[in-house]
Amino acid sequence: METLFKSELKVINIGLESFAETLKERGTEVIHVRWQPPAMGDEELLNLLDKLK
Amino acid sequence: MVLKSYIARNTFRDSVYLMRLSNTVRGFDGVIEAEVIIGTDHNKKFLRSGGLWTEEIEKEAGSNDLIVAVKAEDDQKAEEAIKGALDELNRAVEREALVGEFVPRTFETALDNLPGANLALLSIPGTFVQREANKILDAGLHVMIFSDNVPLEAEVALKQKAQKNGLLVMGPDCGTAIINGVPLAFANEVERGDIGVVAAAGTGLQEVTSLISNLGAGISQSIGTGGRDIKAAVGGITMLQGLQALINDRETEVIVLVAKPPDPEVAHKVLEAASTSGKPVVINFIGGDLEQIKKAGCEPAGTLKEAAYKAVNLSRKQNAALEIEDFHPGKEAVDREKKSYKEGQRYLRALYSGGTLAYESLVMLQNRIEPIYTNLSSDYAKNIEDVYKSREHTIMDFGEDEFTQGRLHPMIDPALRNNRIIAEAKDPETAVIIIDLVLGYNAHPDPAGSALDAIKEARNTAGREGRHITFAAAVCGTDRDNQNRKEQMQKLEKEGILVFPSNADMAAVVAELLE
Repeated sequence: METLFKSELKVINIGLESFAETLKERGTEVIHVRWQPPAMGDEELLNLLDKLK
Repeated sequence: MVLKSYIARNTFRDSVYLMRLSNTVRGFDGVIEAEVIIGTDHNKKFLRSGGLWTEEIEKEAGSNDLIVAVKAEDDQKAEEAIKGALDELNRAVEREALVGEFVPRTFETALDNLPGANLALLSIPGTFVQREANKILDAGLHVMIFSDNVPLEAEVALKQKAQKNGLLVMGPDCGTAIINGVPLAFANEVERGDIGVVAAAGTGLQEVTSLISNLGAGISQSIGTGGRDIKAAVGGITMLQGLQALINDRETEVIVLVAKPPDPEVAHKVLEAASTSGKPVVINFIGGDLEQIKKAGCEPAGTLKEAAYKAVNLSRKQNAALEIEDFHPGKEAVDREKKSYKEGQRYLRALYSGGTLAYESLVMLQNRIEPIYTNLSSDYAKNIEDVYKSREHTIMDFGEDEFTQGRLHPMIDPALRNNRIIAEAKDPETAVIIIDLVLGYNAHPDPAGSALDAIKEARNTAGREGRHITFAAAVCGTDRDNQNRKEQMQKLEKEGILVFPSNADMAAVVAELLE
């Protein structure tokens, strides 16, 4: 945690794009992830995918 | 009048984007009503109840699709509106291709493109949070989870994993934090300084940090833990980690802790850590036992406002202490309001967007007015049966789940609360209506203006029946917030609304009006 407080904040934003926009406007380094439900939100498929990892 | 729909298959956009797009489509020529919305079963019901429904929506739309539903004056206008919506939807994708702006679709790709990333901010549907947060922690990043509806077991597992690895999980249901001076999600632009805050209470964090900043002191770090952190099942993992981090932090001289009263074993651990910290710790366990805090050698605060003042005074050290300034409109103004109520007008309707602020009011008003009904979970008041209908004195939190399913938080979209302001004015027993207006990043661009429209309509409704209602608003924010705090307050004061710089000030005057 101490390292976090001593470093520059660099953010990965996943979800609401407006959160990333406000960070950008303020000059914080941020990358936005246009997130979508993986496996098209199909839970069974998701579980199968996870088992494969 | 024509009803048309279009199903954009396998298309996903976040809820704020969809709200904005829906508003845009509503503004197209000849459009009576419109909605661009994800095709979940819940949303289909919503469309149906609003009369924006077609067979195509029912049969063809799935939860991975976007529904564009339009009610327009005629066929042509409906078609044009749908085309307009699709143009907008496609535009963002085109812009990326044009500008060569690359927008990753996964955390892994994002990390490749920002290898020094140290924090991830997650605001995705709750069911998917654990999976994503695990990846984030495995990559060595701290994570702030804005999402709610995350299973308790997931929260515990994530926090235990984070703790082992020296990482912070802020949340779930963590709406606000300020790390290294950077406001995350709903947060205010505050002065930087030597006061650190850990809060299991979103608007509690916002109120305390804003007041501290407005009083001329500053914030080193402001860590949110999520509301469940201080329950026994989670064990206060993040609160304890945050507290320890502030104890170790050279920039932090004074620490403030804000939460609803933790479960006893968690309170014990927190007080123990605070008491041996070597730094002054101000603690507001909202409505909790002040003696217990004093015994631990910490500084108890009964309200968020008091916590802010105490922290600022501890921070000023040698300089003269600030006296707590109580904002009061004056005895004359209060008496004038009281005399103006018609026979039968006797109740408070408190309509909040911030849960902690609603809870603070509840704590301050219990024992002074009764009975109080609420949708907050509390030992102090009765549970309201119908969240859409007030009863006697009522304190409502519009940020609670029952109001936010498939809708945006009231701090972004105040429509539900505004409608309620108008509804309360129709009730002949309503004497006082109070609201909170929360400024800052990602909140509504003009909370006062939006509420004012509703208040004016409410006044007219009550006025037609010879009733005067007292309207009061507490503005939570700093002078550095984009919404311009002074202007927001003046806008309301001009219209005879009682305006307060803190929630505690407002609650105190409400008690006087209605006791």
